[in-house]
Amino acid sequence: MFAAVTSATLVGVEPRPVLVEVHVGGHVPALRLVGLPDTAVREAKDRVQAALQSSGFHMPDRRVTVNLAPADLPKAGSAYDLPIALGLIAASGEAPPAVADVVALGELALDGTVRSARGGMAAAVVAARSGRPCLLPPALVAEGSLVKGADTRAVTSLAEAVAVALGAPSSSSASRPALAEEPPDPPDLAVVRGQATARRALEVAAAGGHHLLMWGPPGSGKTLLARCLPGLVPMLSPDAAVEVAQVWSAAGRSDSPRKYPPFRAPHHTATVAALVGGGSGIITPGEVSLAHRGVLFLDELGEFPTNLLDALRQPVEEGWVIVARSGRSVLFPADVQLVAATNPCPCGFEGDRAVACRCRPAGVERYRRRLSGPLLDRFDLRVAVNRPDSSALSGPGGETSADVRMRVMAARRLQEERGSLNRSLDRRRLDALPWHPAGVTLLERAVERSALSGRGFDRVRRVARTLADLTTSEVATEAHIAEALSFRESW
Amino acid sequence: MISDARVVLACVGLHPERSAALVERFGSADAVVAALGAGRISAPPQLREAASVTAGEWRRRLSAARCTILGSDDSGYPSWLSALPGAPDAIFVKGSVPELPGVAVVGTRTPTAYGLRLAEHFGAALSVAGWPVVSGLARGIDAAAHRGGLYGPTPGAAVLGSGIDLWYPAGNRRLGEDLLDAGGAIVSEYPPGIRPEPWRFPLRNRIISGLAVAVVVVEARSDGGALITARYGLEQGREVLALPGDIDRETSVGCNLLIRDGALPVLGADDLVEALSLLTSAPPPAGGDTDTDPVVRLAGPVGRPLDWMATALGWPISDLLTRVTQLELQGRVRRHADLVVATCVNAEASQGGDQGAP
Repeated sequence: MFAAVTSATLVGVEPRPVLVEVHVGGHVPALRLVGLPDTAVREAKDRVQAALQSSGFHMPDRRVTVNLAPADLPKAGSAYDLPIALGLIAASGEAPPAVADVVALGELALDGTVRSARGGMAAAVVAARSGRPCLLPPALVAEGSLVKGADTRAVTSLAEAVAVALGAPSSSSASRPALAEEPPDPPDLAVVRGQATARRALEVAAAGGHHLLMWGPPGSGKTLLARCLPGLVPMLSPDAAVEVAQVWSAAGRSDSPRKYPPFRAPHHTATVAALVGGGSGIITPGEVSLAHRGVLFLDELGEFPTNLLDALRQPVEEGWVIVARSGRSVLFPADVQLVAATNPCPCGFEGDRAVACRCRPAGVERYRRRLSGPLLDRFDLRVAVNRPDSSALSGPGGETSADVRMRVMAARRLQEERGSLNRSLDRRRLDALPWHPAGVTLLERAVERSALSGRGFDRVRRVARTLADLTTSEVATEAHIAEALSFRESW
Repeated sequence: MISDARVVLACVGLHPERSAALVERFGSADAVVAALGAGRISAPPQLREAASVTAGEWRRRLSAARCTILGSDDSGYPSWLSALPGAPDAIFVKGSVPELPGVAVVGTRTPTAYGLRLAEHFGAALSVAGWPVVSGLARGIDAAAHRGGLYGPTPGAAVLGSGIDLWYPAGNRRLGEDLLDAGGAIVSEYPPGIRPEPWRFPLRNRIISGLAVAVVVVEARSDGGALITARYGLEQGREVLALPGDIDRETSVGCNLLIRDGALPVLGADDLVEALSLLTSAPPPAGGDTDTDPVVRLAGPVGRPLDWMATALGWPISDLLTRVTQLELQGRVRRHADLVVATCVNAEASQGGDQGAP
């Protein structure tokens, strides 16, 4: 009178098996659920009873104990409805014991329909490791099938789940629910008119993975430029796509396999938990992790409160984030390229040619000082973006994203040979790279004229290295250094 | 040579007008100092104490503060200032007072970017044309004008509203020191140790206009201190010029009022230099400002956007960015957001020469 069905949960993005043990015994009819369940799991009792009856199974007239093991791992959500129901059916002998020999995950409707839940990818990973078939709601099959070696099968109802567990073919094909996010392709750079300087900065950012700060008046096209970036960098490798899907699955956002790196643009009113991850019960990843392997775009950087910017600093620097909540902490990947846009001053029109800025320099100074500090130091590239004049707007569009990506890929290959993206070159490795003496002289001159700080010195060298890679040059020349210096601009 | 009693009287730091009135009443500086020491003139005790210090001691303290005192009859005291009624009997000086009358560039302490940019531009253009820039080392327009003045061979003078040994505001100390290093002067009629009290600044403005042949008001509110300088300028027979601005922008209201009342509008740096040479006997030109570099020429004094320049020159943007940085490090252009602005030729650029055209 015992059965165990395997299911899964996520600790961070790490899949962990959860064993759903069902024991039927004793004479006083009751259903008890143990093993650190949260409210949604507790309510599974009622959903499972109704779904069993609707599907033609009987609830045993005995004392039923359901244990979710390991007991010390918190479980949340409705994903255990299906394994509990299968375990009950097996334990009460309504179907052969083989019905429990699966990995299952899904919520049950009262009529026995299987609904989507969180963690399809985790279940698929657990199934692949244990060699069992994986029963998933149709909406989760797409993310589950990203896992190598997983035998994922879509089931639409509890009755079908029992049949499939016993060896029948799955009648329902994998489908994506109507509401699943279809990641849109990034806009093509060809739609950007004029903006030669900003386009150049974007290309360099793409080539070296550098964090990019754009500043300029409203309506100058900063956001459009930023949105183009995922189309300029190499497409996601299959491995990277799995990593991304894992994070998204952990956030409960099932998603079709994506070609382009993700692009996330959190609003400045977001909470720290929404940005870096958190939540009660199960800890879910934040925006900085949803942008893993992609672009995190902070529009209106000047409006972001300081605590949000401080919270971003460590993840952006290290490429991961640890979210700690009362005794538990989980690690989420957060390897992002940061792109930020900001107005140059509180009114937004400092430097604009058509609209006069009404800000006092002291006000502008204060506005910019708010942004200074450690996070600002991460931006290797800073570029002033202004509204293109009318002749540029009516002129032809620029190069396409595909053309730019060709050059970016060539530059990235050189960086791969050296072992890391230019963004993450530290002072020691920069010192070891070949620099043309004239370029070094120019750098020293910039420092003398106090156009450059110590940290700015390294920033300029990183960008200069990327410029050299874009021309496939072994040595960074004076011209590379000079152009890199032009992107240091005032912030 | 300034007499001992006049040194002591200057160092006591009485209100300049009161000091002049007392000298008139008592007949001489010696009599005023004696009366102060004897308590026959009502004055705070610290002033009486100051009056009992000997001239030799004051001279020692002045040299300790690295400044000198010039009497109105001394040869170093600018004659165009001493000729004016109400000119200070003595001034304290750090550095060397310009040998020629300068041009006062003044304006509000809370300017807009427009005013700041043009104040610096005018300062540079005047200095290159041989006009020393005279201003008050205040925040805002004054500081920008001084900074511009540093570009050329005649950096000019800053007239303080505090004691000669104090930097006010403290943030402009560096600028003041740069001015001294470049061969300019710091001037004040107030002795060391005098705090920057509000009433001292309007009086100080008569020295700013007095040291200049013309007063250029860059940005001013309708009640701005720069208008006081302009009024002193008019009383002293100086030319008054003003930079026009939007009529509904409060920082331009003062300038626009001046123009309505007959001040000459300034329509650009070249316009300013030309107007000055017509209005006054122009100083000898201190050197041309014809930069032959195509990027500098294209950028011009008003500035052009990078993207526009790349199109106009037919250069790839990366070549232009490279060139602009090189010119920037030679001090021949400046960047302001995406604008490239030609700076006037300065001593450093002609020394540094052209290093590495692309």
